[in-house]
Amino acid sequence: MRYRALSDIRVIDLTHFIAGPYATKLLADYGAEVIKVEPPWGEGGRKIGPFRANGEPSRDRGGLFAFLNTNKLGITLDLRDRPGRDALLRLLGDADLMVENFAPGTLAKLGIAPSELMARFPRLSIISISNFGQDGPDRDGILNDLTLYARGGWTYPVGEPNREPLTPPGSLAQYIGGLYAAIAAMQAMLARKIGTASGQHIDISLLEAAVATMIYETVTFQYAGVVRERAGRRFAVGPFLIVTLKCRDGYAGLQCVTDKQFEGLCDLMGRPEMARDQRFATALQRMVNNDALLEIVAAFFLKHDRGWLYREGQRRAIPLVPIPSIGEVLEWEQTKARGFFETIDDPELGRIRIPGAPLRLTSHRPEPSRPAPRLGEHNQEILGNRLGIDAAEIARMSAGTDSVARTL
Amino acid sequence: MTTILEKKVRVLDLSMGWAGPLLGMLLAEMGAEVIKIEDTQFFDWWRGSISMGPPEMQPIERASTFNTVNRGKIGVTLDLNNPRGIDLVKRLAATADILLENYSPGIMKRFGLDWDVLHSINPRLIMISMPSFGYGGPETNARGYGNTVEAMAGVTGLTRYHDAEQPYTLSNALGDPVSGLTGTFGVLAALHERERTGKGQWIELAQVEGAIELMAGPIVEYQLSGQEPRAQGNRNRAYAPHGIYRCAGDGAWIAVAAPTDEQWRALAAALGIDHLAEDSRFSDAARRKANEDALDAELNRAMSTMAIEDVLDRLKTAGLYAAPVNSAAAVLADPQITDRGYFVAVDRAVVGTHLYPGVVARFSHTPLKGDEPAPLLGEHNGDVFRGMLGMTDTEIAELEAAGVIGTAPRQYSKAS
Repeated sequence: MRYRALSDIRVIDLTHFIAGPYATKLLADYGAEVIKVEPPWGEGGRKIGPFRANGEPSRDRGGLFAFLNTNKLGITLDLRDRPGRDALLRLLGDADLMVENFAPGTLAKLGIAPSELMARFPRLSIISISNFGQDGPDRDGILNDLTLYARGGWTYPVGEPNREPLTPPGSLAQYIGGLYAAIAAMQAMLARKIGTASGQHIDISLLEAAVATMIYETVTFQYAGVVRERAGRRFAVGPFLIVTLKCRDGYAGLQCVTDKQFEGLCDLMGRPEMARDQRFATALQRMVNNDALLEIVAAFFLKHDRGWLYREGQRRAIPLVPIPSIGEVLEWEQTKARGFFETIDDPELGRIRIPGAPLRLTSHRPEPSRPAPRLGEHNQEILGNRLGIDAAEIARMSAGTDSVARTL
Repeated sequence: MTTILEKKVRVLDLSMGWAGPLLGMLLAEMGAEVIKIEDTQFFDWWRGSISMGPPEMQPIERASTFNTVNRGKIGVTLDLNNPRGIDLVKRLAATADILLENYSPGIMKRFGLDWDVLHSINPRLIMISMPSFGYGGPETNARGYGNTVEAMAGVTGLTRYHDAEQPYTLSNALGDPVSGLTGTFGVLAALHERERTGKGQWIELAQVEGAIELMAGPIVEYQLSGQEPRAQGNRNRAYAPHGIYRCAGDGAWIAVAAPTDEQWRALAAALGIDHLAEDSRFSDAARRKANEDALDAELNRAMSTMAIEDVLDRLKTAGLYAAPVNSAAAVLADPQITDRGYFVAVDRAVVGTHLYPGVVARFSHTPLKGDEPAPLLGEHNGDVFRGMLGMTDTEIAELEAAGVIGTAPRQYSKAS
């Protein structure tokens, strides 16, 4: 869905892959004009799947690109060429924000270093997202999901104590970086509007964004002096029971933390007296006797269906859920009733349901999303109509636009 | 240097746990005046339980997590089950720009603090509610915390080893930080809109919906392939090697990936196992993937006798994807993170000085601030009720005597 809260903000988006495009997607979904600038051969994110099974890989985009680039305008510019850079500079003259996630130093090599752009356009703020930040000994290092999770501390505490640590799924940490960048974009706008600042440069390290969520590890380690180790199916061993448990028909997730929740859990198991058992009556005792407690609860869950456990748990206000598959998430009555998933008619992939805009603003009614742009879809509208570049020159500038074969 | 908001924006933070408090802290980093409101009995549950130590130990002031996500806030107490407490929230709301809460649906209404009431008191107020599963829908009253929200977003079901069934929760209760961050973006967008329209608004963020955003890849994959996405564990569906391998010594794990033939040959050379590069089981991408168990066994064998620093050095020189699997201690000592001064030392009453995660976005002109401590329970009652609401010392003493405010936790009563 598309809101209008940010309709007075103009963004030039030079980002690719996931973190940067998610940041500018949030800006676009909430109303900013986002002009996505890609090289004539398309940004790498177009080649990420998923694609349709048994079909030709979509030439223009995969499924993730279709989600990450809704409500953006798409143009192609080769920033290695003078005409491409000139067009970019003209677009920046009207822009509030530029977001980029090239390797540090790339813009300077292209002759458009952030410091020079900011000197030329005093209102412009530039957000640079990079693997490790714009300085430091590993500034130029490479990174993927596997190594980002590992180095950021996400992997070490997950999995079985007696085998290798387990990497989280997908690209979650990259989205966290994108969220920090979207927040920074709003902060830069407010610094100009409520504060007195002009444009400024903002440096975001994906590694630091990933580490920011690791407060159990980094801060608790200092307080307790104990490194958090893998606790198997348990989230951790503590004064609580946060655990994924096998049921008769799948798995359930239990988060029993407070005294009241524990009383509810004992009641659910038909053993209300257990809440007064000397081994478990207080949070401290539940920490000391966590193994014994887990054994009792696990044996009970194994004998019941996750749907029954969910209903009975929730009836007692215990955070207890049936662990769903992806299909179950998509078909969940709750998101359906709330109209969360949005059906878009993607020009390549057809009708697909994508996660909708998560923040429901009440200032106005949202409109349907515009699908992600085809490569160079808005060249005529932006380069031609807005900048007055003639059709022949646009064609020359975007030569090779049809080939999604290289990366910058 | 100036902050972004220079105390020009006042925030009432009625939230608990991680998601809402993180939002409040991120606003405090910008220089907003953030007033955290707690009850002396039903205080923020992230402070932990008073049963964790004797009163003189002040156990609820020793929670690392609470002390992390409430930095830079002003702390007051108010009994929200007392009409006088509610009245004081309303008086503060009349002076505020933002109010944030993450109670279950219905609670704010029970307090008499739902949006219609607050909006009529202050039409410029921006309010954000962050229920786990949203207002409306059959599961609106279901309880969820960060880990169960993460599960319902589909994350937990895909967090499994490639060869086992058991799912695992992540180590960071993903639903919480994601909601805090997404909510912060929403509040700032509303603040931006208010600069244009002069009007406040109510924002609803169902925490599970914010988390589902991050699962868009599998969500779309399921529709395009017609099949449930498979948990990959430490592996990559497209290529091998991609995994976590053991180096010499306790807990020394390394993450390594080599997507191309070229990188695979470079990896073999760097580890001194060149002969494997030409091994027919591993000679091209399809064969490496088909023989991944054998490949992983060979790599584990090669690295298990080498020091992790040595392996990292060699792989970095060879331009490969490689990283230590950092424990908490290792994250705090990571050379890149320390070189950039990411962690910030904060001295907090009762617990002393520790390092906390610093600010992520580094602004060139208006830096964010993360170096002020979290408040003690009711620490700033005087400043707020005297300074902001103009109450007298007598009135404040009377509130304290009536139990509306206070600085000591009240016993949790099992009967209540």
